Amino acid sequence: MNNKNDDLVEALSAAIEPSLHGRSPWASARTRFMRNKAAVFSLCLLCVITLACIVGPYLLPHAFDSADWEAMSQAPTWTNMHWFGTDESGRDLLVRTLIGGRISLMVGLMATIASVSLGIAWGATAGFVGGRVDAVMMRVVDIMYAVPYLLIAILMVTLLGRAFYLVVITITVFSWMDMARVVRGQTLSLRSKEFVEAARAIGVPTHRIIFQHIVPNLLGVVVVYTTITVPGVIITESVLSFLGLGIQEPMTSWGVLIHDGAQVMEVSPWILLYPGALLSTALYCFNYIGDGLRDALDPNDR
Amino acid sequence: MWSYALRRLLATIPTLLLVITVCYLLLHFTPGGPFDTEKKVSAAVLANLQEKYHMNEPLWKQYLLYLNSLLHGDLGASFRYEDWSVNELVATALPVSAVIGGVSLLISLLIGVALGSLAALRQNSVVDYLVMFLGSVGSVFPSFVIGPVLVMVFAIWLQWVPSGGWDNFAPRYMVLPMLLLVVLNVATIGRVMRGSMIEVMSSNFIRTARAKGLPQRTVVLRHAMKPALLPVVSLIGPMAISAITSAVITETIFSLPGLGKLIVSGASNRDYTLVLGLVVLVTVITVTFNLLVDLAYALLDPKIRY
Amino acid sequence: MASQLKFAACALVCAAIAGPGTAAVIPPGVQLHSTQTLIRNNGSEPDTLDPMLAEGVPANNITRELFEGLTATDGAGNVVPGVAETWKQTSSTSWVFTLRKTAKWSNGDGVTADDFIYGMRRLVDPKTASQYANTFGIFLVNGKEITEGKKATSELGVKALDKYTVEIRTPYPVAFLPELVSNLQLGPVHRASQEKAGKDWTKPANLVSNGAYTLSEWKVNSKIVLTKNPQYWDAANVQLTKVTYLAVESDSADVKLYESGENEWVLLLPPGSYEKYKAQYPREIRNTPLIGLRYYSFLNTDPLLKDVRVRKALSMVLDRDILAQKVTADGQLPAYGLIVKGTVGSDVTSYDWAAWPMAKRVEEAKKLMAEAGVAPGTKLKFSYNTSDYHKKMAIFAASEWKTKLSLDLELDAMEFKVLIKKRNDKDYQIARNGWNADYNDATTFFALVQCGNDQNNQASCNKKADALIDQGNQSLDATKRKELLTQAARLVMEDYPMMPLLQYTIPRLVKSYVGGYTATNALDRYRGKDLYIIKH
Repeated sequence: MNNKNDDLVEALSAAIEPSLHGRSPWASARTRFMRNKAAVFSLCLLCVITLACIVGPYLLPHAFDSADWEAMSQAPTWTNMHWFGTDESGRDLLVRTLIGGRISLMVGLMATIASVSLGIAWGATAGFVGGRVDAVMMRVVDIMYAVPYLLIAILMVTLLGRAFYLVVITITVFSWMDMARVVRGQTLSLRSKEFVEAARAIGVPTHRIIFQHIVPNLLGVVVVYTTITVPGVIITESVLSFLGLGIQEPMTSWGVLIHDGAQVMEVSPWILLYPGALLSTALYCFNYIGDGLRDALDPNDR
Repeated sequence: MWSYALRRLLATIPTLLLVITVCYLLLHFTPGGPFDTEKKVSAAVLANLQEKYHMNEPLWKQYLLYLNSLLHGDLGASFRYEDWSVNELVATALPVSAVIGGVSLLISLLIGVALGSLAALRQNSVVDYLVMFLGSVGSVFPSFVIGPVLVMVFAIWLQWVPSGGWDNFAPRYMVLPMLLLVVLNVATIGRVMRGSMIEVMSSNFIRTARAKGLPQRTVVLRHAMKPALLPVVSLIGPMAISAITSAVITETIFSLPGLGKLIVSGASNRDYTLVLGLVVLVTVITVTFNLLVDLAYALLDPKIRY
Repeated sequence: MASQLKFAACALVCAAIAGPGTAAVIPPGVQLHSTQTLIRNNGSEPDTLDPMLAEGVPANNITRELFEGLTATDGAGNVVPGVAETWKQTSSTSWVFTLRKTAKWSNGDGVTADDFIYGMRRLVDPKTASQYANTFGIFLVNGKEITEGKKATSELGVKALDKYTVEIRTPYPVAFLPELVSNLQLGPVHRASQEKAGKDWTKPANLVSNGAYTLSEWKVNSKIVLTKNPQYWDAANVQLTKVTYLAVESDSADVKLYESGENEWVLLLPPGSYEKYKAQYPREIRNTPLIGLRYYSFLNTDPLLKDVRVRKALSMVLDRDILAQKVTADGQLPAYGLIVKGTVGSDVTSYDWAAWPMAKRVEEAKKLMAEAGVAPGTKLKFSYNTSDYHKKMAIFAASEWKTKLSLDLELDAMEFKVLIKKRNDKDYQIARNGWNADYNDATTFFALVQCGNDQNNQASCNKKADALIDQGNQSLDATKRKELLTQAARLVMEDYPMMPLLQYTIPRLVKSYVGGYTATNALDRYRGKDLYIIKH
């Protein structure tokens, strides 16, 4: 009798074995993310916006820099195919909004990646190594806070010119410190946790502890703070452009469009409304995606 | 802990020195100087201007002269505001920025922590989404959009408060600027608090507290709050600093005579002494706040030891 | 008898020079409001309240209230007696001003000729390091040499003939000297209190003023409050008891303050908003033309621009009518010459092609460009300082030159200080520029194009025109002078050293109950003394 049962069990396990997979933490994170409807919707929306910004200007009839002095500050209409209306120099607002989106999203992405990477590396190392290294590294952060960014921006632009990557660098220079401080704080708290002590006890080298054990546990705060950094970066870019230190005319960005629109919002509200709506939608999407990612990657939330 | 604090304060001095040096060099290498004006001046007048401000000396000598006067507490004479010394300018502008920035930060903390906790405790519910949506308004719209909207609604349509200006700390001039700063800061604080509270609520010691049968309120307020506040506390430092020193757009929109205005006009006019003086001030404030924040870490997380 | 004749002669001369009244003329039947106070925006925080050092418009607005020179300008823009009751020209290059004996400082001391001598010497003294030393110093004998450090201040051509008489000698005939001395850079200073207080002499506690107002409060970047000076010789005719000057830089914040009741006088409307506010506040909108010129500088030594045909073509194709009516849309006047309407001493000059239809102008310009060998698609660089206003004009210029001449304009926005430096260092190709007169005479504009003049950013030089200007200045006959200067203005512009665009106007909002605002004040100088509040 037992033999027969054993055989049956063996046959069963042989049959189902191919379909058994271990679940990697990333796969389970992705599943959890997919369950968050707001995050998924935001992701799709963001993709749509990005696609529109990349492809749209090629499909639309107007060029982003052709000024039409007969059609200045026109409200949105079907005639002339100015669906978003025109700005103060008679340029089509829809095209400009999409072109502006390209710049804002690119700057946002690149500057965020750069400053987040720098911030994490800096903060985690400082927090984990501690002692004098921590002190020196954090003093550098203090110094970066104290130096007025306007001054550095003026200097960098005037000495090095106004290439796109320089704008990204300039913004990165002012945006990494918050992340560094937050990460350092979390690291300080984490390093005294048991699993770190355990890793140290078995002799894992410091850099591996930092990058394999500490950093994954920082992800929650990092992700949330990254989604806070993105709007900051995009807005910093608009302030720089406003001061003549960023994107040059006729190129534009959402920040510049919104700034111009805010000046005339009582007279020509659409100049503020459309770019503003797109910017805020994109940023809301970043926020929800960020929250979704945080929830999905939280190692405790299994 | 006190020796740690003392060591940090002593470490301020080299930091200060480094910051001053960096800014000093930056200022002198940035094109355009304080005497570049639309009406060109004769060589003799220029020579006298430079002598008046010690700018005819070699760079290193000017640097030492500046450090010397700094030791005596004299931040120098301003180039842009010719009748005033930097000490006087800072003394009048600092209280304005400090009060508006400080009070609005406190209010933002209270509201942000409350909203973030509420959202965390009702994670993924309608309340969560709604609270986060409203709270994020301050992070998706730039200040130069929210500000004018507030002005339009409260000052022009409703005429409840003036659209700007300042009169010796009269409350009606402080309402809108503080409202703007609160709206801007609540977003960040709320989100970070939410994330952190969610993490804490799922940790083991909370589970223990619940298992002990403690009511939710005690669990949250007595046990979860402290560790959850840690990331928020990291933010206070930079937020306080920027609330006080970089509120330029706020000060422009509401015509407030604060520090942000001084920093920008100092940089635009290459007012060397004003910029350096403000940099010294900002460094001192930064270091002090960061120290207070780090000490707060120790209070909140008993495992953190210096 | 002799003295009576003298008096009559003087009265004739002086009446011809001096204006009607010295304070605001209140039309009959107008009732005054019970509180006579005014809040007005001054733009940015004044750089200083020291009259010899005051450089920007905000600073000069305030020094004009605190101090009074030999003469003054009233609300209608006319030159009127100030501390000097009468004045006469005693020779082609010398003037005598007789001070009134009733003029007093705010501390009770009488205003004497020595106060003026001290003030004017202080202006040109290189030790004072005034940036206006040259602008006004060149009109006084030895002024230029003193500012260059070549002579002592005591050699300045101003002398106190007695306690109440000031004699001024000029290096060449200066017909507009009475207007020139209304500027407080050439005004009096109370020596004793200034020397005693040292650096702090301009603070409210220390400042001794002889103008209609005293400095009662000064909050940097916030406001300056002036109260009526009871010691002022004409205090009886000063209606406003308190004037508050705000320091709001942002023009949109300025208008918002006006709309929320915190401000009664907007300095300048935000660009593009004129039509809107004109429709919304028809009784409060003002727009006076100024003695000022908006222009674009060409670097005459630039390889691309050194051919006059290229510069002419660039100037020809830009449609100044669209620029004025649509792009800036705030009542500015198109300008085709160096001199603007309302300037004394020269006529407005223009180009013959200004009257042609645009199509013809474009055709001719294309021909010129081809002759000069400039191919379509050539790049040009345009430098301007960041401001929404300049940006809009720059976009217009770029679009005009692109559609009409197929040129690619690269826009380069920068901070104001950087632009100034680039213009002064001749490190640009085409740059945005502007000039507002310090005094109402054509010579203020010639400085922009004279050979070797510090204000000439174009590195341009027309020796014949300069010779005509010198000749005109030496002439004693006003008509002849005007003829010569007009000729010079026309001649120098034939070279197309720069490209005039528009004449400045000041579009602003002023409450309808503020009396004394006129349409003829071309230098935009209103003292509190010229204004009053109508009952409302």
